[in-house]
Amino acid sequence: MKPARSRKTAARKAAAAGKAAAPAATRPNALSAKVRRLGLAFVEMPLWDSIPMRVLALVVALCLFALVATVPLDFWQQVGFAAVCFALAVWLNRLKGHLATLVMVVLSVIASSRYMYWRLTETVGLGGLFDAVFGIGLVLAELYAFTVLMLGYFQTAWPLQRRPVPMPADSATWPTVDVFIPTYNEPLSVVKPTVFAAMSLDWPRDKINVYVLDDGRREEFRAFCEKVGVTHVTRSHNRHAKAGNINEALKDTSGEYVAIFDCDHIPTRSFLQICMGWFLKDRRLSMLQTPHYFFSPDPFEKNLQTFQEVPNEGELFYGLVQDGNDLWDATFFCGSCAIIRRAPLLEVGGIAVETVTEDAHTALKLHRKGYGTAYLAIPQAAGLATESLSGHVGQRIRWARGMAQICRLDNPLLGPGLTIWQRMCYLNAMLHFFYGLPRLVFLTAPLAYLLFGAHVIQASALTIATFALPHLLHANMTNSRVQGQFRHSFWNEVYESVLAWYIMRPVLVAFFNPAAGKFNVTPKGGVIEEAYFDWEISRPYLVLLLLNLLGIGVGLLRLFLWNQFEATTVVLNLIWTCYNLVILGASIAVASETRQIRVAHRVAMTLPATLHFADGRTTVCETIDFAEGGIGMRLPPGVTATVGEPVQISLYLQDDEHMFPAKVVFQGESHTGLVLGEMSPRDEMAFIQCTFARADAWVGSWGRKRLDAPGLAAGQILRIGMLGFHNMMFHLGREMRRLLRRPEPGASTN
Amino acid sequence: MKIIAVVSAKGGVGKTTLSANLAEALAAAGERVLAVDLDPQNALRLHFGMPPQEVGGHARATLAGEPWEPSLYRGRSSALVMPFGALNEADRSAFEAHLVTHPGWLRAQLGALGLGHDDIVVIDTPPGPSPYMRQALSCAQVCVMVALPDAASYAALPLMEDLIRTYCEGRPDYVGHVLVINQVDVSRQLGKDVVQTLRAQLGERVLGVVHQDQAVAEALAYDRSVLEYNPHSQATHDLLRCADRLRQALAAHGEAA
Repeated sequence: MKPARSRKTAARKAAAAGKAAAPAATRPNALSAKVRRLGLAFVEMPLWDSIPMRVLALVVALCLFALVATVPLDFWQQVGFAAVCFALAVWLNRLKGHLATLVMVVLSVIASSRYMYWRLTETVGLGGLFDAVFGIGLVLAELYAFTVLMLGYFQTAWPLQRRPVPMPADSATWPTVDVFIPTYNEPLSVVKPTVFAAMSLDWPRDKINVYVLDDGRREEFRAFCEKVGVTHVTRSHNRHAKAGNINEALKDTSGEYVAIFDCDHIPTRSFLQICMGWFLKDRRLSMLQTPHYFFSPDPFEKNLQTFQEVPNEGELFYGLVQDGNDLWDATFFCGSCAIIRRAPLLEVGGIAVETVTEDAHTALKLHRKGYGTAYLAIPQAAGLATESLSGHVGQRIRWARGMAQICRLDNPLLGPGLTIWQRMCYLNAMLHFFYGLPRLVFLTAPLAYLLFGAHVIQASALTIATFALPHLLHANMTNSRVQGQFRHSFWNEVYESVLAWYIMRPVLVAFFNPAAGKFNVTPKGGVIEEAYFDWEISRPYLVLLLLNLLGIGVGLLRLFLWNQFEATTVVLNLIWTCYNLVILGASIAVASETRQIRVAHRVAMTLPATLHFADGRTTVCETIDFAEGGIGMRLPPGVTATVGEPVQISLYLQDDEHMFPAKVVFQGESHTGLVLGEMSPRDEMAFIQCTFARADAWVGSWGRKRLDAPGLAAGQILRIGMLGFHNMMFHLGREMRRLLRRPEPGASTN
Repeated sequence: MKIIAVVSAKGGVGKTTLSANLAEALAAAGERVLAVDLDPQNALRLHFGMPPQEVGGHARATLAGEPWEPSLYRGRSSALVMPFGALNEADRSAFEAHLVTHPGWLRAQLGALGLGHDDIVVIDTPPGPSPYMRQALSCAQVCVMVALPDAASYAALPLMEDLIRTYCEGRPDYVGHVLVINQVDVSRQLGKDVVQTLRAQLGERVLGVVHQDQAVAEALAYDRSVLEYNPHSQATHDLLRCADRLRQALAAHGEAA
């Protein structure tokens, strides 16, 4: 029953909100509370238990919606209507609670629908060939954006915010679990921590088996697995890459559940106990996904220096979208940090091999068979983010290509077994990756007028403003509220713009020829020797940049010389172009790779520790960060260590203490650097347990970034845009000097 | 007045040092603390900086029929210490006989000091069953058992628990006993294993672990408390944590009462 479900979710939501939003709870906003009560009372009316009532309400609502979206208004009427709606939304935005959000969504849907209806019915003219081509192109791009906006609202209407279900007290009743760690070409040093962490999972020893699925068939791996006591699994071929690797292993294993971790995703010890409860409670559940949490910055965060500050590209998906999907029972499998029940997985033929996004496709197959999936937004594993921009782009290309393949080969809108809600969620996931072309259209649309004088929208600039502004303002304000915790305003444009050009072709190719293209492994953990500018990858943006600059130049001529009769149109297009320039600048800033000195990433983690010096002194202190083989420490004031001195460092795991040999390699003003000494496998395992596999290792930093403030975000993007231009000019200058001077070998140019 | 007895069935586990350091740590946390030496070795006073040549103490006072107050010594910190006092062999036998015939002696003497409700008394005792230990047990609210992370200490625990059962449990003002594992060296596997076993066995009753730390011995040699001597040392942190947990236990009991 829908109302019952809503009530339950509301209660859960309220409970969660009470925990998360402490300031709001301590100083309750009386009006918000009243509105919330009103909303709940409305939802809980017995009226809604009757299906005819609900159908009737839906029909009436749809009629009203059609009316409000289509009714023609003259200029001032439209201005008045938009102003009232926007004022209402601004007022609602000050209220807390879900009902206010939903009403804001409704207002945004109305504003955007009015805009879209007006665009389609009044502004698409066939003035000339130029106007028609550009005009239709733009309206199609807008139609795409509108559809994705609507689907997004639907998908994130009510994030489920599922809580863990505790395991039964008697661990003898717990099921058996196989932990799969697929690897292909990653170095052993990357895989080791994951294996140790998997071996440390809190689960009855006789009910868990760890398998390293080594598609590289490496002797070094075999020896390591044998030494530490996990199973090394190989096969004679590499067909279907990771999916094939897992499917082969499924044949030789028998645990009731399979937990899958990418070889660089280190699980915390609590992973199974936190995640498994839902499977016992819900027998229909076939897969449970947890977030992919990254303890190193992705190329955006690294090159824009926004790590731990601005939510990264993936956070919207794991923070909000998956949680939203969960309400509709449409959580996708994401390939790692997840548990799958073996029986349903075998029933759908194992991990899907038809597409390059085997994870999402497998979830789709499970959904088609009527199985449920779940999402638990608690980071219970963490790993390295992709290092370089080209690696990041490559990974996104794979995802985009895979979704386009699914769209062609196993379209979720068609075929049996799915609810309409699941179809909607899948549709959005697929459509999402088609953003390449529309984004490029938006980045060039004003140029059609500025450069060629094409009137792509057949209306006066002022009229356009009365429809477009409400559409944009409502959408931005509502999304800022819905997504603020996981995506800041305008960052969507930056993320999409960087990828647009690269994603566009593979998506279209895969859409028309799903068999084309191969699986590319995402490279991780590299070194960037020297700061450089990736001219190669930013070439399309440099072209766009030049075009837009040209557009500004021609636009200014139009404004002052040629097109004074339609000055507002020129100004409107100039403003749009300036906005595009900022976004392009930010995209270019991403391409400016900063230097990455260390092979291993430093992961910030403050833990209590004790240093034991060779002379018998001890000092209680804390760690600052960890890197492969090294620890940064903060010693108490007045205590220093001597560089080169051998020490022992104690780390703690609740009451357990473990001591590791180390050497001081650095003593700064507030920072002491240690390098760990030789460790036995037993020590290495203890080390992982004391650090990365701690149950609370990542929970604290999940979803705790600054909330979105559109003004701040705009300023930030503007600054980053400027930085992009600056970097580009700097590197351009350097290249020019290099070309001109042709320095003798060995001489530094910097 | 809250009385804490530091006890062990086995000798050489560092009771006296721990008593002194716990008293200092409690005092550093803002408590008014009196450390009482019930061990004829008369060594507790040295930890508080009392000159070795002074002979006064409660044993001599008791035998002379005098009150305790003049024998109290205030060291360099805010904690007070009541030394045992130097006794010859005959006097000691007489004193012990006195303790046997006057089972309420310690309670009465402490009562006569007029201490405040929240003041803490830490009593150091000689190892194993003795008239001194009985006196301490029969007025203690908390018994802090001290053990080393080795087999002998582990084996001696049941004896100590028996004594506690006999003299403490059942008294309405008795809070309970806790264990401090002293001189733990994590680089030795045996030490780690014994600590783990004891924690598994005693659970919450393990008040804490005090690590083997040369700062403790050095502090005595330099006539300082370890808290002063090396405030960042592991032992200092361990002691402060133990003191903190003791205060919490006493406060929780005070609220419940």
